[in-house]
Amino acid sequence: MGGIFLIPLLLISPKTYCTLTISGLAMGMLLFLVASGFSLIFGFLSVLNLAHGALFTWGAYISFTSFSLMNRWTGWGGSESFLSNMVIFLLSLLLAGLFVGLLGMMTERLVIRPVYGSHLFQIFITVGAMIFLEELIRVLWGPDDEVMPVPISFIGSLDFFDIVVAKYPLVAIGVGIILYLSIYLILKKTKIGTIVRAGVENPEMVQVMGHNIYRYFTGVFAIGSALAAIGGGMWATFVKSINPAMGGEVIVFALIVAIIGGLGSITGSVIGALMVGLSYNYVAYLVPKAALGITMLLLVVILLFRPTGLFPEGT
Amino acid sequence: MDKPILKVEGIHAFIGKHHILQGVSFEVKEGQITVLLGRNGAGKTTSLRTIMGLVPISQGSIQFKDQSIERLRPFEIARRGIGFVPEDRGLFNLLTVEENFRVAMLEENENTKKRLEMIFEIFPDLRRFWKSKAGILSGGQKQMLAIARPLINPNELLLIDEPSKGLAPIVVDHLIEAFHRLKEHTVIILVEQNFYMASQIGTHFYLFDDGRTVHHGRMVELIQNEEMKNKYLGISTIPSRGIQD
Amino acid sequence: MKEKSLTPVQQFRLREKRERFRKPSIYIKILFIVFLLYVPFLFQSFELIDVIIKVIIFSTLVASYDILLGYTGIVSLGHVLYFGIGSYLVGILMGKWGWVSYGSLGLAFLFAILISGILSVLIGFFSLRIRAIFFAMITLAFMEFAFILASQLRGITGGDDGISFKLPGILSVDFTLGKFGGIDVTGRIISYYFIFLACFLLFMMMLRFVNSPLGRVLQSIRDNEQRSIAIGYKTYLYQVIASTFSSCVAAITGGCFALWVRYVSPDSSLSVSIMLDVLLMVIVGGMGTLYGGILGASFLMVARAFLPKIQYLVASIFPGVPFAIRFSERWLLYFGLFFILIVYFFPKGILGTLEEIIDKKRKD
Repeated sequence: MGGIFLIPLLLISPKTYCTLTISGLAMGMLLFLVASGFSLIFGFLSVLNLAHGALFTWGAYISFTSFSLMNRWTGWGGSESFLSNMVIFLLSLLLAGLFVGLLGMMTERLVIRPVYGSHLFQIFITVGAMIFLEELIRVLWGPDDEVMPVPISFIGSLDFFDIVVAKYPLVAIGVGIILYLSIYLILKKTKIGTIVRAGVENPEMVQVMGHNIYRYFTGVFAIGSALAAIGGGMWATFVKSINPAMGGEVIVFALIVAIIGGLGSITGSVIGALMVGLSYNYVAYLVPKAALGITMLLLVVILLFRPTGLFPEGT
Repeated sequence: MDKPILKVEGIHAFIGKHHILQGVSFEVKEGQITVLLGRNGAGKTTSLRTIMGLVPISQGSIQFKDQSIERLRPFEIARRGIGFVPEDRGLFNLLTVEENFRVAMLEENENTKKRLEMIFEIFPDLRRFWKSKAGILSGGQKQMLAIARPLINPNELLLIDEPSKGLAPIVVDHLIEAFHRLKEHTVIILVEQNFYMASQIGTHFYLFDDGRTVHHGRMVELIQNEEMKNKYLGISTIPSRGIQD
Repeated sequence: MKEKSLTPVQQFRLREKRERFRKPSIYIKILFIVFLLYVPFLFQSFELIDVIIKVIIFSTLVASYDILLGYTGIVSLGHVLYFGIGSYLVGILMGKWGWVSYGSLGLAFLFAILISGILSVLIGFFSLRIRAIFFAMITLAFMEFAFILASQLRGITGGDDGISFKLPGILSVDFTLGKFGGIDVTGRIISYYFIFLACFLLFMMMLRFVNSPLGRVLQSIRDNEQRSIAIGYKTYLYQVIASTFSSCVAAITGGCFALWVRYVSPDSSLSVSIMLDVLLMVIVGGMGTLYGGILGASFLMVARAFLPKIQYLVASIFPGVPFAIRFSERWLLYFGLFFILIVYFFPKGILGTLEEIIDKKRKD
């Protein structure tokens, strides 16, 4: 089935194909970060969090501010050294993740807990939260677009045997893979992870076995939010700008990815995200206006054959 | 030895607008296997769920080892030493047998290992399928896993809802054997529709009708009481002889 | 002689008819309608008439959404898609293709109904078979998709800038019937009455729909789908009917909206923020009560119109403090907060909570 992604080779030169594949994988990784948080939250808590996009935006802004501040102190962002660049970049993402993780915890306690069990009211209340969080950004940072600073060594591209490969997408893919593997291993190998997997299947039973599932709810919500935040920071670096409404644009893609992959499954999110990222990039090159259409088509086709997504309810 | 380990007094419970339990009382002591009997919808499963904290009670009290537990949350009740096996077994099908136990385990020490050995003795299939996903087990094996899981903890009380449901008779026999062995380790409350199974392993019974407990006593008494069996369980072991008599 | 016994629905209707003139609510309704009819003569300010017509249009839109959400229990996040289709059809026929005539206006509305109906059936076929929550997300995705399509297909839709157009004959701005009752009866005023009539009829239709036996089946599906299926109703079919009906109503309101503002663009007719507005209106007004739409729409439109004025007031109290200005400027912030609080404290909306209070009093 993966062979489908080789079809574009018929229409595109191999070198361009490689460039597009790399950017497609990178876009996929970024989508994965946002979608996986949403998917896990829905799978485990059974909560539809429409404010997820706003948390994504918060992540972008926090990493923007922390990067700028740290750069002013240390200058690591402007230095030529890849290592210093990486350190400051990762630190800014980490801060974004921590801050938004906390923000997520507060949101879960205050806004989500009262509406457990009713998807409809979750939609209402998270929409309110989304508006509030987005507007708060406008108040604190101003409503205009800002330029996102990018570490020097991430700019530009490498030349591999005549194939042009942009540098930042490689970083994005790298970070994405590391995060995916970390989460995957935590879920599979640790006791907490096993409990979370059990909770995706049957939250009531997990309680009956003596675990305070509400603590887990808060934790998973926080981690899902942190993932969105990291995704936000990375996305901002990718498109080199931030604006208060950026979450709204990405959330629809993330939603589609989460549905395609199967809600509750991390592996599903990764695969769905890569599919969407790759197909979008190939089609955007060939027929620019049809790029979004291919994503919708993917959604429709997958749902026709697997109404619950590729990996329903489980890793 | 004579004090009841669990005492349920006059509980009422609602599910939505339905007044499901309208005055349920029972108690169980150590060394007993108590069976809750009665027709469908009489309130047996709901009673178990209220003990476990999954259904709130509007009236009455539930005391476990002399402590009130009716206001506690399910995970707190589980930690007090009560295990629960629901009607649908509640297995985590995508997890392996081993992982199912891991989730169930509240602590890990020498005793846990010993208990696991005991579990394997009673249910040898679980050792064989230790690393397999729970979802691929047969119906009987799933039931074994469901019952065995809470045994990994030093639970003093086990609540089991319809263990024989959907099982072939030969598997039921195996289960009956297993229950006889379990009796020594923990107090069991059973909800059971299968009267044969109930009579084979139960020491005491409580009869439910319309959300109330109406009769109780020793199992041996019930086995011989055709009238009660017929009236509350709709079963009879006397071949029908026609209209008169 | 055999007496034909009435079904419960018929008995209910009969009782309603008899008691109709005893209930206070009917007088409120009549007064309201009279008020609306009189509005152009009452208020000279165009701004006010603008707010009121928007209340009328959005009440009808929200009511159509309520049929879906409050009566049938279908959670759709893409309802505004049909609103947009209606708007765009009017805009394209009048504007892009320049067919300015009554006939083409009628045609636009007709096409709007047809396309919305067919689309609704297709989406329904595809999506009602999956879990409700997926349906919500997918309808959102479809609406976003339409938004982006509208922004990109400049040739047909005028892209981001949209389409401005003129209206035919007596509806056009230049036209005037001359003085009457103290005001100049222009095309705008006539448009007002035209839209009012259309929305009034639509609203009546929706009321009829909801109180009919069909409407009751829908409510039973909303309350307990399994039970309805068990009784023998092909719930899926009913859901498609309800969804199609409500989409067509939404499409017509979209056309009316385009008629009034004489402009259509992705932001004005297809954006997610309009959908959010509808959500807010339905929840403030109360789900499952068509009239709630009127309350919700009034509330929101009036707030929208007058909040900026309050902002200037507040800003003028704290001159030169940028933070304060920003805080008061971003009234959306309070909007969001308000939204959350309403869901938390008044999940049934104004009308729903009122009904609850009245019910409780009746029991005592």
